Amino acid sequence: MGNKQTTFTEEQLEAYQDCTYFTRKEILRLHSRYRELAPHLVPLDYTNSPDIRVPLTLIVTMPELKENPFRDRIVETFSEDGLGNLSFNDFVDMFSALCETSPRELKTIYAFKIYDFNRDNFICKEDLKKTLNKLTKGDLTSEEVALVCDKAIEEADLDGDSKLSFADFENMISKAPDFLSNFHIRI
Amino acid sequence: MTTYNNSGYLNPAYHDYETLEIDRRTSSKSHHANPYPREAPAWLGVRAPQSPTAQPGGDDASGGRWQEERQGTDESIPLGFISTQPQNPPWQHNLNHTTFQIDPDAHDRSAASQISSSMSANMTLRWRGVSARRLSLFPTGDPSHLFPEDVIRNELDNEEQDLVKELIGLSTVDRIQAVRALPMSVREKKHVRSQVLAFKSSKQSQQRGCCADCSESVSWTFRRFGSGLKAAGQALELWQGTMKEISGRFGTSVLTYFVFLKWLLMFNVLSFLINFGFITVPLLVYDPSPNIPPNVSFRGLEILTGVGYFNYTVMYYGGHSNETFAGQVTYNMQLAYFLTIAIYMVLCGLALIVSMAGSFRSNYVVADPSSDSAWQLLCSWDFNMTNERAVRQRKNNLRVQLKESLSENAQRKLLTLSEELSRLCVHLASWFLSTILALGCGASVYYLCLYEAQMLAADAASWSLLEEAKTLLVPFVVSLINLCVPLFYSLFNKFDHYSSHRRQIYALVVRNVFLKMFILGVLCYYWMDVVAQNVSCWESVVGQALYRLVIVDFLFLMLGSFFGEFLSNVIGTRMLPRIGVPEFDVARNVLELIYAQTLAWIGIYFAPLLPVLQIFKLFLLFYLKKISLTHNCQPPQRTGRAAQMQTIFTALLFFPFFVGALSIVAYTSWSLTPSENCGPFRGLNNSFGAVAVWIHTLEDISGSQWVIWIYQKIIKSPIFYFIVTLIILMFIYVFWQVTLGRKELIALLRKQIVKEGKDKMFLLEKLHSLQTSHPNATNKQANQQQRIGQFSDRRSPGSQSNSSALVQALLARQQFEGDLSGGVPVPADISTSSGLIQAMLAYQRAEDLNEDLYRMPDGRLSSFAPLPPPTRPRDEDRGTAGGPGDPVHAPGALEQAMQARQRAEGADDLSSSAVMMQVIQARQQEERLQWTPGPPHNPAPSGSSALIQAMLARQQAQNEFDDGY
Repeated sequence: MGNKQTTFTEEQLEAYQDCTYFTRKEILRLHSRYRELAPHLVPLDYTNSPDIRVPLTLIVTMPELKENPFRDRIVETFSEDGLGNLSFNDFVDMFSALCETSPRELKTIYAFKIYDFNRDNFICKEDLKKTLNKLTKGDLTSEEVALVCDKAIEEADLDGDSKLSFADFENMISKAPDFLSNFHIRI
Repeated sequence: MTTYNNSGYLNPAYHDYETLEIDRRTSSKSHHANPYPREAPAWLGVRAPQSPTAQPGGDDASGGRWQEERQGTDESIPLGFISTQPQNPPWQHNLNHTTFQIDPDAHDRSAASQISSSMSANMTLRWRGVSARRLSLFPTGDPSHLFPEDVIRNELDNEEQDLVKELIGLSTVDRIQAVRALPMSVREKKHVRSQVLAFKSSKQSQQRGCCADCSESVSWTFRRFGSGLKAAGQALELWQGTMKEISGRFGTSVLTYFVFLKWLLMFNVLSFLINFGFITVPLLVYDPSPNIPPNVSFRGLEILTGVGYFNYTVMYYGGHSNETFAGQVTYNMQLAYFLTIAIYMVLCGLALIVSMAGSFRSNYVVADPSSDSAWQLLCSWDFNMTNERAVRQRKNNLRVQLKESLSENAQRKLLTLSEELSRLCVHLASWFLSTILALGCGASVYYLCLYEAQMLAADAASWSLLEEAKTLLVPFVVSLINLCVPLFYSLFNKFDHYSSHRRQIYALVVRNVFLKMFILGVLCYYWMDVVAQNVSCWESVVGQALYRLVIVDFLFLMLGSFFGEFLSNVIGTRMLPRIGVPEFDVARNVLELIYAQTLAWIGIYFAPLLPVLQIFKLFLLFYLKKISLTHNCQPPQRTGRAAQMQTIFTALLFFPFFVGALSIVAYTSWSLTPSENCGPFRGLNNSFGAVAVWIHTLEDISGSQWVIWIYQKIIKSPIFYFIVTLIILMFIYVFWQVTLGRKELIALLRKQIVKEGKDKMFLLEKLHSLQTSHPNATNKQANQQQRIGQFSDRRSPGSQSNSSALVQALLARQQFEGDLSGGVPVPADISTSSGLIQAMLAYQRAEDLNEDLYRMPDGRLSSFAPLPPPTRPRDEDRGTAGGPGDPVHAPGALEQAMQARQRAEGADDLSSSAVMMQVIQARQQEERLQWTPGPPHNPAPSGSSALIQAMLARQQAQNEFDDGY
C-alpha cells in the first residue's frame, strides 16, 4: 500500500463485509462513488467514521438512480433520518439491499417501504396511484388510474381491508419471481 | 438499556440463555422502578411484580386494583392528586407496560423455548417474521401515536437482545448470513454484530484453549480465503460493464439472453479444458506432428468445410491413435478418450440439473394470471434501467399495456361461443401447419443428405474445390430452414391470438423446439444409420458434418442479425415507419443458442475440439448481438416475466436437447461399431469395449480386485440398475406425496392469512366504533379541550378511575400533538388540572426523549450532571435520539418541562394559563427535538397481537371511564 492513504481500517472493512453483501473491493468502490457525489464533503479517510450525510439532491444524480421513477423514495427509505440524507452506512445499505445476492425477504421489506409513500405501513390506494403516476408519467386519466388501482388491490388483497398489508405484498411477491431480478441495481 | 445489560452479557457467568433471560427481565424492572425509589416504595413494590405476569384477560381486574390502590394512596384529592403527580410517569409506564408487556414476554418465552429446543435456521425466519411484523405496525420511526416511545424502545431492546441471543447460537457462516439479511441499517447491524462478537470473545476468554484458538483462526482464514476467492471471481467476471449497460438500456428480459450466452460460454470453456487437457495434450506430447498424406494441402476452404487437411489432425475422432503411450508414464489413449467424454457429459448433466433445479426453486411459481395488474404496478418496474430513452419507452409501454388490459377486461365477457370456436380452429390450424412444416423440413433434410452422399465421391482426399464446396449444401439448407421457418412461425402470431402474451411466447417456443428437434433427429438418424454402415472412418465424417453445421450456423446467425435486425431497422425507420424499429426477440435468439450448443454436445464424441469453435462463436456472437442490439433494436414492448423465461430456457436446454445429445453419444459408444481403420477404438466392438479391455489387463495386477468386482457386479449387472431404478422411483413417489402435502399446507396457510386479515379488520372496526360511539372520544379538536376540562372536573369527587384518566390523558396528548405541530392554539380556559395533565405529559415526553435519564436517583432534580456515561454512546449507536445535538438540548427541554411542572404543583388551585403556556412551550421545544422523523430503519415492535392488546387496553380504559360516569 505504501503511500496510499487508507480509507477504512481492516476492522471496518471486516464489519462491512459481514454486514453487507459486498466484498472489500466493492466497499472501496462504493466509497469512491459516494465520494464522487460530494468531493468537498466526503473525506477520503473514513477510519474515524465521520458523521457525514450527503443530501438527497446529490444522491439522485447518480446514473444508477437518475432515471429511476422511484429514486426519491429509494433514497428516503434508506436514509436514517427519513429525509433522504444518506450517510455512507446508509449508502452501502441501499446498494446492499438492492444487489443481486440479497435475499428475497430483505428485498421485499425494502420494496414495501419504497412503495409505501405515506409510511402508514399499508400500500393503500393513494400509494398505488402515486406509483402508477410515476410509472406512466401521469398519462392515464384519473378514472383509468382508479380502475387500475382498484384492480390491483382487488387482486392482491387477501384480507379484504382494501389496502395491501405487508403480508399481502409478500404473498404477491412470492408469485412474481422476476421481482428479484427487477429489484436490483447494478453498481 | 443495552449497555446496561451488556455487563450481564459480557460477564461469562451469564452465558446461559436462561440466566440471560432472568437478568434482562430484572433489569427491565429495575429500570422502571429506579426513578422514584423513595417516593412510593410500597406502591412500586406492589406494581413491579405485576407487569411481567399480566395477561390480556386479567387487564380488567388489574385495572380495578390500580384504582383501589390509587385511592388508597391518594387520600386528598385533588390536592393529593397534584402532590402525587410526579408518580404518574412511572405509573403510567407501568400501565402501558402491563398492557404491552405480554407480547414481549410471550415472545421471550417462545424465544427461550425455541432456543433451547432447536437452535436452527428457522430462527432466522422467525426473526424476519418479527421484523416484518415490526414493519407492519409502525411506520418509519413514528410509532408514538400509538404507544409512548419508552415502551417501544423497551420492546426494541428486548427484540434486539433476543436477536443477539439468537445470533450467538449460530455458527459463524450462518451468523454472517443472518446479520446480512437483517432489515436494519448498516449501523444497527454493526452494533448487533459487535455485541455478538463481544459476547463470543468474552466467552472464549473464559474457556480459552489451544483448540478453540486454532479453530477460530482456521475458520477466520477460511473466511478470508473465501471472500478473497469471491473478489477474484468478481474481478474475472466477463463483460460486467457490458451487462450493466445492456440491462440499463434494454432491461432484464433482454439481459437474459446475454446471461444465457455467457453461461454457455463457460460450459464450453470447461469442456475445452477437459478435452484439450486429457485427450489432445497427451497425443501432441507423444506425437507432435500430424501424419498428413503428401497429396493433401491446406487450401483455405477447409475452414468452412472442415474436410481435407483437418481430417488428419487431432480435430476429429479419426486423428486419434489407439495406442497406449509408454513414456515415463503409460497413457491409455482409448480409455482416456472414452472416460474424458463420459465424464464431461456427466459433468454437463450435473451442472445443468443443478442450475435448472435452483432456477426452478427460486423462479418457477404457479403462474397466477389473476394478479396481473398488481404485478405490473408493483413488481414489473426494472430498477436496472438507467437509460433515459429506455425509461421513457418503458413508461409508454406500461401505459399501453394497462390500457389494453382495461379494455380486455371489458372485452373478455363479450366473447361468444362462435368466437371461441373460431379461435380454437385457428389454434388447431396453426399447430397443424407448423407441425407439417417441421416434418417436411426434416424429410427434405434427410433426402438432401442422401442426395449429397450419392453426389460426392467416396474418397474425400481427391475432392476438387467444387466438390468440397458441395458439402456445404446440407448445412446451408439446414441453417436456412432454421433462419426462415421461425420467422414464418412468428407470422402466425398475427392471426393466432392467445389469451395471454406468455402463452403466445410459449407456443412459439414449442413450435421452434419441434422444428429443431426434427431436424437434429433426422440428421442423427442419417449419421447413425446410413453413414455408420457405409463409410469407412465414419466418425470423422460425422465430425466434419457437425463442424460444417456449427460454422454455417454461425454465419447464418450473423446474417440473421443483419437481415433480421439491421434491415428491418432500416425498413422500419426509413421506408415503412408503421412497422417501427424491431424488437429483440429473446425467445428466438435463445433457441438459436440452444441449437448451437446441442450441435457442440453431439459433436463432442466425433470432434473433441469442437468446443474451441464454439467458444469463438459465442464470444463473437456476444459482441455482434450487443452491437446489433444497441444500433438496431428497441427495448421489448411487452416485458415478459424474464426470470420464468430463463428457467424455461434452462429446462429446454436440458430436456430435449442435452438429453438428446447425451443419448446419441451414448448410443454411439455402446451400440455402434467403431470404424476399423481409424480412431482410438479401431478393432473393438464398441467404444465401451475399451473399458472391458482395460479391466482385462487389470486382472494380472494384484490389488485391483475391487475394480474388477465393481465392473462385474455393478457396471455390467442389470440387477444393480434395476434396484437403483426402483429406489429412485420410491423416492420420487415419496417426494411427490410430500409435495402434495405442502400444497395443501400452502392452501391452508393462505386461508389463514385471509382469516387473520378479517379478524384484524373486525377488531379495528370494533375499536373504531368504540372510539366514535363515545361522546368523549371523538376526534374533534373543539371538544377535546372541553372534554379534558370536564373530565378533570368530574374526577374531583374522587369516584373515578385513575387508569382511565391516564388513558384519557394519553389520548389528549396524542391529539394535542396534532395541534402543537400546527399553530399551537392555546386555549385560555383550561382548568388547572388539565394544565397539570399537560405538565405531566410534558414531563413524560421529556423522559421519553432521553429514557436513560430514568435511572437518575431523583427525577425531580433539574440537575442533569449525573448522566451516566454509557448512555451517550448508546444513544449514538441506536440513533433513536435524533441528531448529534440532541443529547445536549434534551436535558434543557426536560428541565424546562420539570420547572413548569413544579410551578404547576405550586399553584394548586389556580387556573393558570401562564403555567399552561410554559408547559406547552416546553413541550413544543421537545417536539421540535423529537419529532424529526425517526430513522427509517427503526422498526417498531409487534404485529397484530400488539394491536389487539392496544385495543384491549383502550377498551378497558373506555369501560373504566364509563364506570367513572
